[in-house]
Amino acid sequence: MLKVKDLSRTFQSGDVKVAAVDGISFEVPDGQFASIIGKSGSGKTTLLSLLGTLEKPTGGHIEIDDKDVTDLSDHALVDYRRKKIGFVFQAYNLIPNLTALENVMLPLSFEGVHGDDRKKRATELLKQVGITADQMDRKPGRLSGGQQQRVAIARALANKPSLILADEPTGNLDSETGKMIFDLLHNLAKTQNTTIIVVTHDLTIAGKTDKSFRLQDGKLVS
Amino acid sequence: MNTITLGMRNAFRNATRSLSIIIILGLSIGLSLTMLIAHQAVGQKIADAKSSIGNTITIAPAGFSQFSQANNSLTTDQLTKVQSLQHVTNVTETLTDRLTTIGSAQPSFGKFGGSSTSTNNQTSLKSPVNINTNSKSGSGMHVFINGGSGSLPSNFSPPISIVGTNDPQNLGNLASGSGTITITSGKYINGTSDTNDAMVSQSMASKNNLKVGSTFTAYGKTLTVTGIYKSSTQAGANDVIVSLPAEQRLSGQSGDVTNAVATVDSVDNLSSVTTAIRNTLGSNADVTNSQDAVNQTIEPLNSVKNIAFYSLIGAIIAGSVIILLTMIMIVRERRREIGILKAIGASNTRVIFQFMSEAVTLTIAGAVIGIIIGVIGGNPVTNTLVTNASNSANTSTTQTMDSGNFGARGRMGMSANGGGNFTARPTTGSGFFGRNTNSLRNSISNVKANVGWSILAWGLGAAVLIAIVGSAFAGWLIARVRPSEVMRAE
Repeated sequence: MLKVKDLSRTFQSGDVKVAAVDGISFEVPDGQFASIIGKSGSGKTTLLSLLGTLEKPTGGHIEIDDKDVTDLSDHALVDYRRKKIGFVFQAYNLIPNLTALENVMLPLSFEGVHGDDRKKRATELLKQVGITADQMDRKPGRLSGGQQQRVAIARALANKPSLILADEPTGNLDSETGKMIFDLLHNLAKTQNTTIIVVTHDLTIAGKTDKSFRLQDGKLVS
Repeated sequence: MNTITLGMRNAFRNATRSLSIIIILGLSIGLSLTMLIAHQAVGQKIADAKSSIGNTITIAPAGFSQFSQANNSLTTDQLTKVQSLQHVTNVTETLTDRLTTIGSAQPSFGKFGGSSTSTNNQTSLKSPVNINTNSKSGSGMHVFINGGSGSLPSNFSPPISIVGTNDPQNLGNLASGSGTITITSGKYINGTSDTNDAMVSQSMASKNNLKVGSTFTAYGKTLTVTGIYKSSTQAGANDVIVSLPAEQRLSGQSGDVTNAVATVDSVDNLSSVTTAIRNTLGSNADVTNSQDAVNQTIEPLNSVKNIAFYSLIGAIIAGSVIILLTMIMIVRERRREIGILKAIGASNTRVIFQFMSEAVTLTIAGAVIGIIIGVIGGNPVTNTLVTNASNSANTSTTQTMDSGNFGARGRMGMSANGGGNFTARPTTGSGFFGRNTNSLRNSISNVKANVGWSILAWGLGAAVLIAIVGSAFAGWLIARVRPSEVMRAE
């Protein structure tokens, strides 16, 4: 269960204090697929950063599996992020000089999973997202956008996180590939009981998720 | 894939850039190594030079020289005080006198520096030195007749030196000594025992049909040959060596010493002990060591050593700056990647180690090139530096050396009847210190730089040091990259 209470994040811009996220509260039960929609500058990315513990809020609380993560130290946050949270980015953000397989093995390596187990787990995940054996040994530059995003999703799943945060995961893909990625995430939420939150502009996608939140000027409007 | 492997692979992500960095680092490390090699080679040469000159101090009666015939001497009591000084390990004492051959025509000899009161300084021995009295050159020994108007009597036999010493095995230490002697028959005399035992040279023994156990007379006493030696100098071939107490008794110079050499425990203490001896003996003695001359001779090497040291430091700093700037550039270029790594669970430490591994990989690759440069360039660069420094310093050094009082020639001086002065100059006629420092001066420009495992280890150590210093700031930058930046980059 993801619980967000009165979450806020303000930035100082010159003499002006800007509230990128302003007193947001919501809950997403385990295994649900939720979407956050809103215009550019509405605070979607900041909210995702806060949920992913990449930034600390200036107010409010975030509870993941009944644990308040807002008071954790930086060191504990790194540990928590590695174990509990997976990220999928619009630009995929794979490491360019590593193969698809090595990219998925990377978070497993951070977690201390040993060589053979690491490779086995990464191979299973890549198969699960539809990457063939031949594609596993390719570097990101030699994979299509859709294939790269599948690899990114496999990487996000590597350490069996409770929460996957996806920032515009279909933003760089054509509509057909985007639909395939959306279906993949949807299935993962159901089959692996993983909470997935997607930030998107695509209202079609938003309409198909279990929950949808609309952000405007840092506030939740629906 | 572990952090180190990842860092190593990242080092070669951009082949062109990596190659450029490696070549630049290689040049920097190569220069460091070349300077290190030069520094060590020159340092070793300086150490060798210091050790080769010996740790001895010559003590002579004040105003005494081979030619002055000053009627002074040191005493055993004075030298006992010297022996008790701190850092003095040994004092070799000698009393030298001249003997004339019974029946030989008598040029007018001055005393040889001692204060002998004996009127019976004659011997049954004949000198092995042959002098052609009709010529200005002798057989086996160069003879110079100065003044020209005199001539030698036809039955003239050159005088023989009799050397009393308390340390017959170390006569080579003495400025006026018999060179290095090696016993070829019999045994060494006991230098502290007052007996009428003597050692003679092979030439002397041959000339006088002597062998171990034979006897001859000196000062009206009978002496027994206990050892026959081979001398490294022709002058030494004209010597008879007896114990110091025996010579003091036979020549009637009880307690007198004409020359002494103090040995110091370390060359580092040479200067302080020289001063201490001067203070102990006051105006009674001239106390000299070779350190000043040596210091002047090795001065160019010290300059090269300093140049090499500062160049080494400069090259290491340059290498560190190169890797520092490289790593800053890499970190700035890969901020987003750092953000990704942090976002997916990598700690600051882990990311810093990854980039340090990358820096170390680049520098070790540079070190390989640097070591090759160092191995190839070490010797020529060292020799060039030393030669240039030596040449620039040579003129002043030569002038100083030649005007010093270390280069006294010969050990025999006399006035011949008829007013002609001559000096018999042994083949090794230059003075002890002059000989050694000239040889040293000639050898300092011949520095051989050796590249051993220690140099290679230093090279690799320097490379790792450069990598660590160079990537330290990059590490600080990495720590400041916030994982949320990966989101901002979207």
